[in-house]
Amino acid sequence: MKEMIDRIKQKFNAKDINQQKATLVFFTVEKKDLEGCVLYMKEFEGYGNLTMITAIDWIEKNQFQLTYHLHNYTNRTDVSIRTYIEREKPSMVSIHNLWAGARVFQREIKELFGIDFPGCPRVNDNFVLEGWDNIPPMRRDFDTKKYSEETYFPRPGRYKKDNVQFMEENLYPVEAEVKKSIADTVKKK
Amino acid sequence: MSLKDIISPFNAWKRAFEKPDTIVKPLSERDGADLYRGFHTNDIEKCIGCGSCEEICQNASIDLVDVASIQAKSGDSGLRPLIDYGRCCWCALCVDICPTGSLKMSNDYTWVTDDSDAFRFIPGVDKKKWDNSEKGYKSFKEAWLVNPNREHASEKAPDIRKHDFDEYAEGFSDEQALVEAGRCLECGICIQACPTHMDIPKYISAIRKGNLEEGLRIMYETNPMLEACGRICTAKCEDVCAVGHNGKPIAIRSLKRYIGDKTFRKKDEIMDLKPVQQTGKKVGIIGGGPAGLTAAFYLRRLGHAVTIYEQHDKLGGMLKWGIPDYRLPADVLQREIDFIIRQGIDVKYNVKIGKDISFDQLHKDNDAVFIGVGAQIGSDMPIRGMDTEGVYSGVEFLEKVSKGEKPFVGKYAVVVGGGNTSIDAARSSIRLGANAKILYRRTEQEMPANREEIREAKEEGADLMILSTPTKIEKLPSGGLKIECLKMELGEPDSSGRRRPVPKEGSEFYIEADVCIMAVGQKVEPEFSESIGLKVTKWGTFEVHSDTLRSNDKVFAGGDCQTGPDDAIRAVAAGKTAAYFIDKQFKG
Repeated sequence: MKEMIDRIKQKFNAKDINQQKATLVFFTVEKKDLEGCVLYMKEFEGYGNLTMITAIDWIEKNQFQLTYHLHNYTNRTDVSIRTYIEREKPSMVSIHNLWAGARVFQREIKELFGIDFPGCPRVNDNFVLEGWDNIPPMRRDFDTKKYSEETYFPRPGRYKKDNVQFMEENLYPVEAEVKKSIADTVKKK
Repeated sequence: MSLKDIISPFNAWKRAFEKPDTIVKPLSERDGADLYRGFHTNDIEKCIGCGSCEEICQNASIDLVDVASIQAKSGDSGLRPLIDYGRCCWCALCVDICPTGSLKMSNDYTWVTDDSDAFRFIPGVDKKKWDNSEKGYKSFKEAWLVNPNREHASEKAPDIRKHDFDEYAEGFSDEQALVEAGRCLECGICIQACPTHMDIPKYISAIRKGNLEEGLRIMYETNPMLEACGRICTAKCEDVCAVGHNGKPIAIRSLKRYIGDKTFRKKDEIMDLKPVQQTGKKVGIIGGGPAGLTAAFYLRRLGHAVTIYEQHDKLGGMLKWGIPDYRLPADVLQREIDFIIRQGIDVKYNVKIGKDISFDQLHKDNDAVFIGVGAQIGSDMPIRGMDTEGVYSGVEFLEKVSKGEKPFVGKYAVVVGGGNTSIDAARSSIRLGANAKILYRRTEQEMPANREEIREAKEEGADLMILSTPTKIEKLPSGGLKIECLKMELGEPDSSGRRRPVPKEGSEFYIEADVCIMAVGQKVEPEFSESIGLKVTKWGTFEVHSDTLRSNDKVFAGGDCQTGPDDAIRAVAAGKTAAYFIDKQFKG
């Protein structure tokens, strides 16, 4: 593992290397080096299996993180290769030519995060969200609660109580009346 | 086609007599995994109806509803979550946010019924077979979405602070305030516990948004003494804080102070209080403490002419004379009072009602009178030697300290009592150069003083002598005092729920001291309450209507003189209530 880490450091300028355990290491490469790096890992380091591709929305940094998890069946080790891409019009090179299975992951990420993988077959087809008409739902600026309130009607007879108001009514009705009326005396008109 | 291809289908026959892996219908048991997220369970005794689960649910599947068998009480809204399993996606955010840890999930997920409304129910109230399930998802430390750790503002070390009366606790830094405000769930359980029902979640939210001006305006809606309260409030809100159930409660008082500290220089500009239309009604207020000042402020905002009659040369009442500078600096209190007075309130200083002006005169000159004179007289103990030189009452001693008179404390000061006045007296005597010993007849657990105050007094070297009471005080030929004491034991609980102290036979002992400060309670000045002819209770406090604070035709009373010695925030609440009902009376 250690020698492998040294090699990828040298070849791909890998950064943020965290070896989580003896058989698992995470590292980061630049976007332009990603394709070369996974190809190298597949062909020369024995990481023949693409376990999955995941994405994270770092809205604060205006970036998406993509993580490519690879497995080596020979020595039973895993590597997870991170890369960061711009959040505006996000697009990443497709690796479906290296692993046919990458199509599924890329199609899923396209749908849930809106990250494009030009050239990937069927990448624009629906994955799980048929008829979706909103921003991709795994983006952090997607307001899940607002969406469910607007989309799914409440059951008839449904009601809710506000806990502060309920305590006012049951525990201090007079003082609540005083509070409301007095508050008006200093409110900005 | 090879021979293998022909034979291999028959290969399967070899399993014909094995036990099948499939499950025979009808299905009886099919348990979820141990950590499966199934139907919720809720410990309704532990649940406080804070609504955090409802707030965080991204599918709007939780509603807080009232439950016939549960009453609202302090710290518990009485509401409980009803979950709609037609919407629930089993994500468990509600379990991970639950501050009390009452909401959990069982691993039960199979339930078939024709009635779709049955899938809306209140876990814990509507009994289900999985209610006592040990399995299923429970939150754990790393997954809990609540930050249990409280920010601490820096304060001077005990060895340094015990030498002067300077304020020792600093306010929050901007970063600390943001972190602390970020811990608040904004559930609002605290609002009821505050005597004046400050909108705590709203001003904390204002800090979070960086809008301190809005925070200040929200606080003035309920409390014009917020800077003082930001330092010395008993913070009953923090006692019921939802986060306090499994972590440290939000430092609400410090956040209040933070807003006050950051905005006081621009208070007039921020509040922008425009003059209101005058009603022509006149209100006389006796006593310029927190109750009187609050009443004056709001009455003025309601357009009435207000005059405060104050027996001292400064306003503030017990905040001024009863609380030492190291807890509430005089300039902080003064700037807050100045803002109230600037609203156009007339103040007559050094005027004692009953001596300089008669109560009848005041009654005649005004359309309403509010009495907020407080409980200014220290109670005596029924023991011999109370009139010995060197024996002070707690309030008398603290007033001298506040006036900067530096009362004599000698080398050894003994303070009797377990309340905040006693702790203030002990810490003040330490600052004046004495060693202080606090005598209390019960144990530390029963002391009415704030825990924080007790801890800080001990840090400064105050010596706590519990289960002890003085029985006699004598002057020694050397000039000091000989205080004879008895040891006590705790007996049966009394009406206050605290265990009654009982003297221990033959446990007499004595201590020597230079001064003895009696902080065993305060009462309303009897000469005053008797002279004005209002109804008083057997404790000497004014008897008024409990909601309106009205005594008779146009006289109202509130604060310590009505409740007996209590905290500032309760006096503020009384002033506010009186202002409302006086105004209501004028409107008829």
